[in-house]
Amino acid sequence: MSRQTDTGKKITDALESLEGIQRAEPAPWFFTRVKAKLERERHNIWETTGSYMARPAIAIAGLLFILCINAFIVFQKDTTDPIPSYAVQNTDEEIVLTASNTSFSYDYENIEP
Amino acid sequence: MVEGLKQGDEAAFKTIVETWQNMVYNTALGIVQNQEDAEDIAQEVFVQVYQSINSFKGESKFSTWLYRITVTKSLDHERKKKRKKRFAFVRSLFGEQNEVLINPPDFNHPGVTLDNKENAAVLFKAISELPENQRLAFTLNKVEGLSYQEVSEVMDTTVSSVESLMHRAKNNLRKKLEDHYNKGK
Repeated sequence: MSRQTDTGKKITDALESLEGIQRAEPAPWFFTRVKAKLERERHNIWETTGSYMARPAIAIAGLLFILCINAFIVFQKDTTDPIPSYAVQNTDEEIVLTASNTSFSYDYENIEP
Repeated sequence: MVEGLKQGDEAAFKTIVETWQNMVYNTALGIVQNQEDAEDIAQEVFVQVYQSINSFKGESKFSTWLYRITVTKSLDHERKKKRKKRFAFVRSLFGEQNEVLINPPDFNHPGVTLDNKENAAVLFKAISELPENQRLAFTLNKVEGLSYQEVSEVMDTTVSSVESLMHRAKNNLRKKLEDHYNKGK
């Protein structure tokens, strides 16, 4: 019985041990250290950029932007007028005729050695 | 002060740091129970204040905003520490024991009165084992001395929720302390 009372008292003492607690203070020159930390962070551009781009909103927006560009390119390709099939059907005859109608002419008579 | 900092006035920033450093440090210390870690966290808090002061719209008190940043960073730190411990434990199961895990010594809060130091160390150990919300509410109320109303503003919850958290925290602490003192016999 007395053991229980003893334990009970210890528990109560422990629970009340924070009565009158004073605020702890950081070591002196705390502001100096905060300033130094700020300066270090300012110079760490890559980390800042990376952490900015890692933000979910930015990352998702970037991804959506890339997807939109891709979709735009794909759909633009699909919607341009296709060349009519009859126009691309070159017969051998047309190819020969085209070759003979080329703009340059080869001067057989004035060939220099 | 806040308006000055928004204009980028360094003197205003210095005033803010000097005015609130004890509050921020003490809050972080109560949660993380390590002086070095609390110092790092306090520095990070003020760096964030400097960088994001424009996001402070004045809808809540400046102190409430500051408490929230401090609490968030302190709890993030604790979660990271727990993850590291869990990872190290898993690695030890596979025979990788590169990192020697030393149990940290009992935490002695510098603001506790001398005759209460031993009991407070036992209590802080028990506090560190509470669920996060209970631990936070108890620390803000008992270590920082905030009222239930103030705690509810920091935790963005209701006063009755804080009352409930405190009630459960005390019950859990009693059980842990009982185990501790009975084990010692």
